[in-house]
Amino acid sequence: MKPEALPYFAGIDLGSTMTKVVIIDEAGNICARVESHTGAEHRHLANRVMEQALKQADLLFDKITYVVATGYGRINVPFADRQMTELTCHARGVANLFPSVRTALDIGGQDAKGLKIKDGKLVDFVMNDKCAAGTGRFLEVIADTLGLRLEELGEISAKSKNRVKISNTCTVFAQQEITLRLSEGALLEDIIAGLHEAIASRAVGMLRRLKIEADVVFTGGVALNAGVVRAVKENLGLEVLVPEDPLISGALGAAFLGRELVRKALAEGKPLQRSKRRLSEATFFK
Amino acid sequence: MTEAGLSRAREIYQDRSRRARELRAEGKKVIGYLDIFPVLEMLTAMDLYPYRLLGDINEPVTKADACLPPVVCPFLRSVLDLGLKGRYDFLDGVAMAHGCEVGEKMAHIWQIYLNPTYAYYLDTPHTTHEAALKHHTELLRGFQSSLESFTGEKLSAERLEKAIKLHNKQRALVLELYNLRKPDPPLISGAETLQVMVSLMSLPAAEGNELLEQVINEVKQRKDGPAKQPARLLVWGSVMDNAALVEMIESTGANVVMDDTSTGSRAYFPTVEITADPLEGLAERYLAGLNSPRTFRETVLGESNRKDYMTDLENRFAYLRDYAAEWNVNGVILQALRYCDIHGYEVPGIKDYLDSIGLPCIYLEHDYSRAVLEQLRTRVQAFLEIIG
Repeated sequence: MKPEALPYFAGIDLGSTMTKVVIIDEAGNICARVESHTGAEHRHLANRVMEQALKQADLLFDKITYVVATGYGRINVPFADRQMTELTCHARGVANLFPSVRTALDIGGQDAKGLKIKDGKLVDFVMNDKCAAGTGRFLEVIADTLGLRLEELGEISAKSKNRVKISNTCTVFAQQEITLRLSEGALLEDIIAGLHEAIASRAVGMLRRLKIEADVVFTGGVALNAGVVRAVKENLGLEVLVPEDPLISGALGAAFLGRELVRKALAEGKPLQRSKRRLSEATFFK
Repeated sequence: MTEAGLSRAREIYQDRSRRARELRAEGKKVIGYLDIFPVLEMLTAMDLYPYRLLGDINEPVTKADACLPPVVCPFLRSVLDLGLKGRYDFLDGVAMAHGCEVGEKMAHIWQIYLNPTYAYYLDTPHTTHEAALKHHTELLRGFQSSLESFTGEKLSAERLEKAIKLHNKQRALVLELYNLRKPDPPLISGAETLQVMVSLMSLPAAEGNELLEQVINEVKQRKDGPAKQPARLLVWGSVMDNAALVEMIESTGANVVMDDTSTGSRAYFPTVEITADPLEGLAERYLAGLNSPRTFRETVLGESNRKDYMTDLENRFAYLRDYAAEWNVNGVILQALRYCDIHGYEVPGIKDYLDSIGLPCIYLEHDYSRAVLEQLRTRVQAFLEIIG
C-alpha cells in the first residue's frame, strides 16, 4: 500500500483481443496490472477492468491523477483524460522496459506494428492492420484447425527437425495447405515450425521498411510463443529481447505518458485538461 | 439562388451536376473531361462547358467491375461506374487525354461502353523535350479541327485568347484563395477549400470566377474560420475529389493548409502564356507547365550515384520546399490510391527528399472508401504525436 498523498497514473490499452490496465506511482513503480479478454464486454465496460486494477492497488479512483487510454478501443473509455495511439504508447512502454531499444516489433491479436524509437520516443512506424496473416489471428485460426491451444504451439514446434514451408500468404489458403501437408504425412511439430516461420518472415518483412537497429524488442501476445520468437531472431539475424510480460507495454507506456503530461503541465504552470467523467460504463452505446 | 460563397460551394459539392443539367436544358453543350490534360480553354472558346469527370466515394462500384480488370484504381472504377449508371447522361461528349496509363485506357473504354456523341482522345506526351512540346502543339491542332467539326464553328485566335484570359483569371483567383491559408490559423480549412475546388470543376469558367470572388470576400471577413492547431500539413498525391480524407485528417487536430494534387494547386497554379500562336502557349502549359509525376523529367543524365540522385530529387521536388516555406507547413501527408502507380512509385524519392530537408512525412495508401478511414486515423494521429 502506498501513501495516499502520492499521485498515481493509469494506462488502459483496449486491444482487439485483450484489455490491459497498468497503474504506476509517481516514482514509476507498477502498483497494479490487469489483463482481461476484451470480448464484446470490455468495449463498453472498460470501467470494470479499471475497477479490478484499483482493487489490486488498493486505491480509489479519485487517487488517480491522470488516465491515458490507448488501443483500438481508446475512444470507448469515457473516464480517460487523454487518448493516444498505441504506436506512441507502446514505444514509451518498451523504452521503459528496455532503455536500449531502437526497434520494436509488436504482434497482437489483429495487427502488427513496427516502431522506431530514439531516446525513448517514437520516431517512425509501420503498421499492418489489413491482413490477418501477419497477426495473432493467423496462429489462432490454424491452432483451431489442428485442435490445439495457442499456448501449446511454442513447445510443440521446439521438437521440429524438418520444418515444412507454408507457401500461401493468405490465412485461409494456408489452412488448406496445412491440411494437405498433414495428409501427406508431415509431422505436427514441423508444420507448427513452418507456421512460426511464416508469421515471423512476414513480420520481419514489414519491419524492414524501417531501418532495423539493435536493440530489438518483441512484444504483444504472439511474443509469448517461444517458437515465433526463435523464428523472428532467425529472420532478423539479431538478438531479440522479450519482456517478462509482453502484453503490458501499451498500457505501461500510456501510464508513463500520463505522468509526463502532468509533470509538463505543472512545470509550465498550465492547467491540466482532465475528463469530467466518473468511473462508469460508456453510455454512448445505449 | 440565395446561396453564395462557401455555402454555395458546399451546395454544389453535394450536388455537382445540378448547374450542368440546368444549362443543358437551356441549350448549352457540356463536355466531360478526365484529369488535367485536356485543354479547357479550347472547350470554353468554342462555347462548350468543360465539366470534370469525378467519382463518388459514397456509391459502391458494381457495374464497372464487369468491365475492368482488378488493377484499375478505385477512382477510375468509380468514374466508369457512374457513367454506366447514367449519372453522366447530361454530357454531350467527352475529351480525355493520356494522363496516366489506365486513364488512357479509360478514354477508349468509355467510348466502347457509353458510345458518346462526341469523344476526343489527346495523346499527351510524357516528356518535356523540345520535340515533345512541338508534337503536343500539333496534337492540339488536331483537337481544334475536331472541335470545329463538332460545333460547325471556327476557333479563331481571338476566341482562344479570350478563353485563356478567363481561365488565367480563375487561376489567379485560386492563388488568392490559397494565400488565405497562409495565416495561422488559416482562414479557410482544407475541407472547405476542396469543396470550392470541386465546385470550380462543376461550373463554367465565368461562373466559377464569380464563386471564387464571393468565397474570397467572405473568407477575408469571417470570424468563424478554423481553430489554430500545432500541425500545419500539406497533402500530396492522387486525385482527391472527396473531402472525407481531409476532414478525417483535420479532425485529428491538424490544419491542412496546402495541397499538391490534381484537384488543387497542381491543376490551378500554372498559368498560360499568350503566344502569337495561342496553341503554342497552351501546349507548353498543358505539358511542361503541369507538374505531375506522370511526366518524366530527368535532369541528371549519366552515371547514377548518390550526388546525382539528390540533385535529381532537388530538381523534381524543390517546389515542395518552397510551398512548405510559403505556407508554413510542418508536416506532409503523402497519400495514394491503391494501384496508383504514378504516385506510388514517386513515394520513395519524395520521402528521401523531404527527409533531406527535415520535413516529416507519412505515406497513406487508401482505397477510395470510407471504411479504411478509421485505420488511417490511427496512423495520422500517431504522426501528429511524433511531430508534436
